[in-house]
Amino acid sequence: MTSVLSILVSPLLWLALFSGIYGLQGLSCELDLDTTTFAGISAARALLGAAWLAAIALQATLLAALHAGRFSPEGAFVRWISRATGWTGLVATIWTLFPVAVTSTCG
Amino acid sequence: MNTLARHRRLTRIWSSEPGWKGWFSTVNHNDVGRMFLVTSFFYFVVAGVLAMLIRAQLATPHSAFVGPEIYNQLFTMHGTIMMFLFAIPTFEGLAIYLLPKMLGTRDLAYPRLTAYGYWCYFFGGGMLVFSMLAGIAPDGGWFMYPPLTSKLYSPGINTDFWLIGITFVEISAICAAVEFTVSILKYRAPGMSLSKMPIFAWYALVTSLMILTGFPPLILGSVLLELERAFGFPFFQVDLGGDSLLWQHLFWLFGHPEVYIIFLPAAGVISTILPVMSSTTLLGYRWVVAAAVGLAFLSFGLWVHHMFTTGIPHMGLAFFSAASTLVAVPTGIQVFAWIGTIWKGKPQLKLPMLHILGFFLTFVIGGLTGVMVAVVPFDWQVHDTAFVTAHLHYVLFGGFVFPILAGIYYWLPLMTGRKRFFRLGEIAFALIFVGFHVTFLAMHWVGLLGQRRRISTYAPEDGWTTINLISSVGGFILAFGLALVLVEVALQVVTRHRTKRNFWNSGSLEWAMMMPPPAYTFASLPQVKDRDPLWHERLLPVQIARGEGYLGDPVGDRRESMTVEIATGAPDFHLIYPTNTRLPIFFSAVTGLFFLSMLVKLYWFAPIALVGMAAVAWRWVWVLGQKEDLGPQPVGRGLQLSNAAEVDRSPGWWGSLFLLVANATFFGSLLFGFAFLWTVAPGWPPPVFIEPSLLAVAIGVGSGVLAAIGTFAAIRSNRRGASPTFGLLLALAGALGVAATFVFTILRMPNPTEHAYGATMLVMGSYGLFHAIVVLLMVSFLFARMRAGFLSAARRAEPAIVNLWALYLAAITTLILVAINLPGLVA
Amino acid sequence: MEPAGPAANTIATLWWVMLAGATAIFVLVTVLLALGFRSKEAAGDEKRQERSWIIGLGLLFPSTVLLALLGYGLWVGERLLPRDGPDLVQVQAEGRRWEWIFGYGDLPAVRTLNVLHIPAGRPVDVAITTSDVIHSFWVPRLAGKLDAIPGHVNVLRIEASQPGTYEGRSAEYSGVGYDHHGFTVIAHDAAGWQNFLESGR
Ligand code: HEM
Ligand SMILES: [Cu+2]
Ligand SMILES: [Cu+2]
Repeated sequence: MTSVLSILVSPLLWLALFSGIYGLQGLSCELDLDTTTFAGISAARALLGAAWLAAIALQATLLAALHAGRFSPEGAFVRWISRATGWTGLVATIWTLFPVAVTSTCG
Repeated sequence: MNTLARHRRLTRIWSSEPGWKGWFSTVNHNDVGRMFLVTSFFYFVVAGVLAMLIRAQLATPHSAFVGPEIYNQLFTMHGTIMMFLFAIPTFEGLAIYLLPKMLGTRDLAYPRLTAYGYWCYFFGGGMLVFSMLAGIAPDGGWFMYPPLTSKLYSPGINTDFWLIGITFVEISAICAAVEFTVSILKYRAPGMSLSKMPIFAWYALVTSLMILTGFPPLILGSVLLELERAFGFPFFQVDLGGDSLLWQHLFWLFGHPEVYIIFLPAAGVISTILPVMSSTTLLGYRWVVAAAVGLAFLSFGLWVHHMFTTGIPHMGLAFFSAASTLVAVPTGIQVFAWIGTIWKGKPQLKLPMLHILGFFLTFVIGGLTGVMVAVVPFDWQVHDTAFVTAHLHYVLFGGFVFPILAGIYYWLPLMTGRKRFFRLGEIAFALIFVGFHVTFLAMHWVGLLGQRRRISTYAPEDGWTTINLISSVGGFILAFGLALVLVEVALQVVTRHRTKRNFWNSGSLEWAMMMPPPAYTFASLPQVKDRDPLWHERLLPVQIARGEGYLGDPVGDRRESMTVEIATGAPDFHLIYPTNTRLPIFFSAVTGLFFLSMLVKLYWFAPIALVGMAAVAWRWVWVLGQKEDLGPQPVGRGLQLSNAAEVDRSPGWWGSLFLLVANATFFGSLLFGFAFLWTVAPGWPPPVFIEPSLLAVAIGVGSGVLAAIGTFAAIRSNRRGASPTFGLLLALAGALGVAATFVFTILRMPNPTEHAYGATMLVMGSYGLFHAIVVLLMVSFLFARMRAGFLSAARRAEPAIVNLWALYLAAITTLILVAINLPGLVA
Repeated sequence: MEPAGPAANTIATLWWVMLAGATAIFVLVTVLLALGFRSKEAAGDEKRQERSWIIGLGLLFPSTVLLALLGYGLWVGERLLPRDGPDLVQVQAEGRRWEWIFGYGDLPAVRTLNVLHIPAGRPVDVAITTSDVIHSFWVPRLAGKLDAIPGHVNVLRIEASQPGTYEGRSAEYSGVGYDHHGFTVIAHDAAGWQNFLESGR
């Protein structure tokens, strides 16, 4: 079971982060955070951007753990697949959430 | 025992009852798999005929062939049948039939459940067919958007047929998914580690996990919409605090993964057949596995691309647009791995290969138009036009029907033991290929010209006449081709044109047996050493038949098999399957009574049916198990294994685990619905919150924990050889406490028909109460088992299962009570 | 597909770009497939093949193309969003089975049934809602569509470059009357628009 989990954990984390940040975006529009600005950056964008960076950091940590040390799964095959899905999770976190940096928040 | 005697003996043990009566009591995957396939192709024909009626109607402007009332039923039923009664059951049937053979074992994990799933599909599908024959079929489109499907705008029973019939059918998908997951993880030939698993099994595993997490949102949506229609709970009525967008989220949370649930098994078929047709191995096996896993996950982050025009902020859309483009990358990996496989090997243009080429040319176009509609502004233009209809057929027909046809032609020699006699297949392929592209290229075009989907007619001035006529002609050519396929398959089943073993020279285990496969599949279970056992050990089929593998010598009338450890494939435990029984069909009939009473609004009968279901379920588990310790069982080759009743993690434990995964997704969707209504629906906050009661929270959570602790205590004392009575009593008290808390909480709730808040709270409370009752029944069952002598220090499997459910109860009780009481506290 | 306004124009350009790209990719795949059927020498090193087929063609190639497309699509999407401007016109559209009722800015007296009047050459924001089931507001030649959802108001930016009459359709299935659920948009020149606002017809 741990082998199956190590394959699934990174994409699962992506799914959680993706839904979480999507929810956060809805919430920050609900609370009108996009209209309060500091130094040209709206509070909503600052919040979402920070969440995005934190998400990337989390995925990167997980990937590092899959690569080395205690959490690296046993068995060459499962290890390889886990790392591949680990990369998938990291890339997906960067790719699918990068709109927080570029598109208009609540328009 | 010589080979023939072994064959006779095993056949007698594993066969279903002779004659047509055997269909009702068979639990063997060989039979049930074929029953699934025959039924699903029956539905393919039905939905195909509906498609022809649609195309006949659209062929000319101002067509008076059918009016909109009938036309709306036609396209709704075409889409619904194709998706729910053809595509998913075809996967189920194929996987039921093939998986045990490919994995080198004798049957799936839960043979009775296989049969139960089939009968749920049979009866549920029957409901929909009845509605069609009676002219009261669903007519809200296959995604059934409220408020169009609410009581106000669809007062008839049509919509109820959809909500209730489809939910009934989905039981079979959930059963199959639990079964496949456990079977693939545990029920393999010894030595078959994860890295040696046939690629189809990987795809089936991924698909099954997707069904477990993809279907619950739709089941929840259907339950909520039916509750709204039946009892006026306003989940989707905006003036009473509901929101119709909630349905769209729940539906597409299911609907998009559904597309991949349909595509992935087909991709598994291609990954299996293509290398054999090219006399080589799959290029980049591990890449393909990783791509399938990645695809599965990404597909859960796409659902909003079906809602690009609903007015969600651009950043929200951008997330899903980005995810929708990213999902094309793992698809690209697979496509190029396949093309690379062709380059690596020596491809031959046999009939299955033709269909695979048909797949490539069609699916790639579907993928490309899919990327186009993933681009938000373009979707704003083509959404809900014939362009989207054309796109979805390129994906579904290209990505599912072509591969399945390849699969049919590929495995038909195995299934029948015969080969093709008349060469109709090549002509049929040409007709299908040409017909398909004529039909749907034309539909892309007319969609760009502005033809909306789901219109029953148009005017000559629209300028679409010629294109539609071309499209309809193409449709009929396509239908003719498909009819030829059916004729050819029927001929192959009846003609006697025997064929050699391992017809295509494949390396995979399903070809290591007699053709057609015997009821017991393998006379003895092989020890697997690599991914293509038949290529490396030419004598393997003979060794298997001679009983040189595991479990070659049957004991008594036992249907025996064994499991392996998940990652390594090392032997784990021994097990005895239940044999032929009518319990599955009976159970699904009783289940059907429940759905029927909801459908015809005999609500007083529904609780009776539920009690009936509980009684049958009790019986279902009661007949398993042993009254004395079996001890280590010899499984051949000098190996001894414990029996399934004498392990900590038995098949029932594994099944419960994955059923709970689906269950937790259902619950998660419910929490999502609550949060969604709260933040998005215009009518919030509600007029009153439930008076918070910290006492209720404390008692409820405490009781939930007590139930869990009780089951742990029962496990421990049973393990030590002592009586588990004390632990069971604790668990009983805990479950009762939880039930009482929920009853008390429900009694204090605001009227559920006045605001969606009250309705949501009631559903949550009832969900908790239901689980408390389930645990109550389970603990009582353990009491009865203990008294009847089914438990011992060795026979310890059952308490562990109840423990899992008690833990789940404790978790959801906490979450529900917080969700119910927190808002009042904060406000 | 005869765009007659900036939004529809931008989308049409997007379509032609994507069609060209898609055709190129489709041709590439077909050629690679066909070449696979040449008779050939025994296959080379499997690791190398994995690298070129899977990492090169399967991973890097689609990633590059898709990132570019995604960027382009998001940029177009941003441009099409309704933003404040000096000569902006506000109208309201309310769908119901099976007609559309239009209101104009803050002129409660002016309402039209199944005909929407707008000035040509000026951006118009349509506030869309419904009084029964879900509908969708779509004028194919002017812009993409946006849904009318109970309890919500969605704002769509449209603009007609030239005066004229444009056909509008309701693009979300709404039951038996769906076939004929449509409306007409009349884009006036400046004088005609003034005239309409004053006479209310
Ligand atoms: C046998 C060849 C087929 C033909 C000629 C065909 C034709 C059509 C047509 C013309 C429509 C559009 C109806 C409308 O918008 O008014 C349609 C809708 C649809 N088709 Fe097919 N189809 C075929 C096979 C399939 C298959 C294999 C699937 C899925 C596995 C499928 C799934 C659907 C779905 C989901 C819809 C949408 C229904 C709705 O709008 O509610 N079709 N089909
Ligand atoms: Cu989708
Ligand atoms: Cu699609």
